Amino acid sequence: MEVRLEGVVKRYGTTAALSGVTLEVQEGELFTLLGPSGCGKTTTLRILAGFVEPDEGDVVFDGASVRRVRPAERGVGIVFQNYALWPHMTVFDNVAYGLRLRRLPPAEVRRRVEEALERVGLPGFGGRTPGQLSGGQQQRVAVARALVLNPRLLLLDEPLSNLDAKVRARLRSEIRRLQQELRITTVYVTHDQEEAMVISDRIAVMRDGRVAQVGTPVELYERPADLFVADFVGTNNLLAGTVQAVRDGLAELKTPAGLVAGRAVGRLEPGRPAVLAVRPESLRLRGGASAGPTLAGRVVLAQYLGSLIRYEVEVPGQTVLLVDVYDPKGHRGLRPGEPATLAFEPESALVFPREPDA
Amino acid sequence: MRVEAVGPRTEARTARRVRVPGWVWALPVYGFLALFVVYPLVRLLLEAVTDDTGRFTLQYVAGFATDPFYRRALANSLWVSGGTVLGCLALGLPAAFLLVRYDFPGRNLWSYLTVLPIVVPPLVGIMGLVFVLGRAGTVNVLLMDFLGLARPVNFLYGWHGVLLAMVLHYFPLVTLNVVDALAKVDASLEEAAEAAGARGLRRVWDITLPLLTPGLVSGATLVFILSFADFATPLVVGIQDLLAAQAYLNIVQFVDRRLFRMGLVVGALMSLMAVGFLLVARRVVALREYAVVSYRAVERRPLAGPWRVVAPLLFAGVLGLAFLPHVGLLLAAFGKAWSLTPFPTRFTLENFDQVLHLTPTYVVNTLRWSAVAVLLILALGVPMGWILARSTLPGRGLLDSVVTLVLALPGTAIGIAYLRAFHLPVAGFTLTRSWLVMPLVLAVRRMPYTVRATFASLLTVHRAMEEAAASVGASALRTFVDVSLPLIWRGVVAGLLFSLLFALQEAAATILLVLPGWETVTVGIFTFYTSGTFGQAAALGVVLVVLCSAVLYAVYRLTGARLGGLFGGGGA
Repeated sequence: MEVRLEGVVKRYGTTAALSGVTLEVQEGELFTLLGPSGCGKTTTLRILAGFVEPDEGDVVFDGASVRRVRPAERGVGIVFQNYALWPHMTVFDNVAYGLRLRRLPPAEVRRRVEEALERVGLPGFGGRTPGQLSGGQQQRVAVARALVLNPRLLLLDEPLSNLDAKVRARLRSEIRRLQQELRITTVYVTHDQEEAMVISDRIAVMRDGRVAQVGTPVELYERPADLFVADFVGTNNLLAGTVQAVRDGLAELKTPAGLVAGRAVGRLEPGRPAVLAVRPESLRLRGGASAGPTLAGRVVLAQYLGSLIRYEVEVPGQTVLLVDVYDPKGHRGLRPGEPATLAFEPESALVFPREPDA
Repeated sequence: MRVEAVGPRTEARTARRVRVPGWVWALPVYGFLALFVVYPLVRLLLEAVTDDTGRFTLQYVAGFATDPFYRRALANSLWVSGGTVLGCLALGLPAAFLLVRYDFPGRNLWSYLTVLPIVVPPLVGIMGLVFVLGRAGTVNVLLMDFLGLARPVNFLYGWHGVLLAMVLHYFPLVTLNVVDALAKVDASLEEAAEAAGARGLRRVWDITLPLLTPGLVSGATLVFILSFADFATPLVVGIQDLLAAQAYLNIVQFVDRRLFRMGLVVGALMSLMAVGFLLVARRVVALREYAVVSYRAVERRPLAGPWRVVAPLLFAGVLGLAFLPHVGLLLAAFGKAWSLTPFPTRFTLENFDQVLHLTPTYVVNTLRWSAVAVLLILALGVPMGWILARSTLPGRGLLDSVVTLVLALPGTAIGIAYLRAFHLPVAGFTLTRSWLVMPLVLAVRRMPYTVRATFASLLTVHRAMEEAAASVGASALRTFVDVSLPLIWRGVVAGLLFSLLFALQEAAATILLVLPGWETVTVGIFTFYTSGTFGQAAALGVVLVVLCSAVLYAVYRLTGARLGGLFGGGGA
């Protein structure tokens, strides 16, 4: 199913939860709403579900507005953050509830519930109560309950945030596998950018009730549209300074650490404040001093992570930069306190205008 | 700054101290309950199966079982209590849903007012109702004068009157419990149901009500037990064939030994039944208690359309009825020689002069017994709450059961049990002949509120906060004084105030135990009213209502109106 939000506005009292959200989710894709808490992602999801009615704008499923359609008639399946399994019913009854309300024959109910439990890897769990299940199992039941009604759209509201890291990683892949098997259009809400990168076809990064950028994980990582997205998606080193010159798409920036350059994004004018963003893996590190356009600093901390060594290097201006050195076998380790020189290709860095409020 | 090592010092201190095993500290508490709850109760049960010479006999039990009058009284009691529960559910459930889930004009005010009927003891409530709705009450006089009715309408005298008075008095207990339970239901549970296609009443029936079961059952059990034990309300409207009324009447008459024995049997039976109800309720609650953490409460929705008007009117109607007794009480208390007119023709302070100035015994006694009782509760009930919440002492489960049992035992039964258990001198001291018995029985009856409040408050203090204090070297007592007490004192004081509130209202055990000179306000009301001195009975009623309102107001200021937990939360 194709889902569209058109200029959706939602206010609570005087505060705007959503101020003009326009999105398009394509048939069969897993679309993630990503953002910090309070950005409006859950409100957006609840508007899609029909629990919240937008003050302005429209919600369109397959070309037809569903603004006046009740949640149950929208054909959506919902998985809640806290599972929301009814504690007074068995697993079987939880999954069967919606089918029974639709007055399906008992044999049909049984068949579909068992099929759904099988699909989420919990065959034979129907007789238990939610209280007897682990968090991961409860969430699988919640997924089964959402899928058993064959929804046109699956909504997942931070489904993994209450689980521990190992279970989270496994369930994440399972949800993705299920979604691809069923080719079901899915909207997924999370504040975890790594989760979003791994699971999504496309991501909408949200901020303050607006969509900051929509794109594939690769697009968001490599071509963030603004400083917020650059900072929120993946890890970025940020160096604040003043624009010196803009030439051939490259901006030169004067910072306390020295003169740096990167690809210009957005409106940059000489003399205006700007921020350079460069990822840890784009920085090259050498011990001691060296010539060329480099940043001189001092190692503060070295973290050995197996596949890489992550250095924290302090440069003038009280800025600490993260530097990742991959495949550290041939690398001579630097100790805290040693001087270090950092270099990077201007093409691998981005320069954004500094936002008024940042 | 240098921090000195604290390790060696604390070690030295603990080494010097002789450790007294925990159970030694708990002995007075356990001993108190054994002597003043368990022993009298066992004694009462034994008395029901022995004759005057102390020999075992089943003749009285058999006499009860074969007497059609008592069998009918038992049936009457069960259906009056059942009817009261149903009435309270019918009023209390919708009220709770409206208050928690919807917004409408005056919602806050109504949520406060709903609790108020508790302030009026049922005895006072029914008396106030009689002044307004009785044979010669305001309404009937108006009807006869203006509509030319020949005979007064019987609003009160009979079963319908008992039910009306009890429902109006007890329905807030259901509301409080359900409000508490409703607030704990996570919004996503209902949204999940809505997404599955369950709406409106279907959703309430399938999802919400089952989740409310513990709160509902707790409230309903409490109402059932209280109305089952209430003998004063039915007696005022002339109903005698109920168990509680029979127990009272048989015990206070001093002529017929056999009747007296029957009173004992009825008291024992009522105790056993109360325990039975409690056990059944606990079982249901335990089966239905789910450890659900509420992440997000259901959003309150504004009421739409005609309901915006209907809902407040509903509350106004119910509460108007519930406040009717107050009106009658005030009229009778300030009225002078009021009869055969809709309202008193002249007003006077004479009645108050009587009960406050000329014979202030009732008020003074009530205050005195209640104050001593609250001190006893403070000394024993707070430690009980602490033992339940924090200690690993043996016998905690038993302690919990005994405290809950006290809540369920009919006041009449406790009064009878005390009469039989403590009427013989021990080392020259007879408890039932000493005024001590009055505050003692009040303390025992009202202790559970404080125990529960202390327990519940301690549960909200995370163990780690106390452990953190201990880890930097605070002793157990210091930890309690510096960390726990500042966090729980509001809850504890609220519990004490509730104990006080219901000690002031006590009108069952004390009526049985009272000797000349010890009369309380409730005893005064009962004797004045039954002897026809309505004005003074009403004046005492007003005094009691004012006292209770003041206590309830103090609770509100302390706890911010979250009272549900005191009456609910597992058990009854």
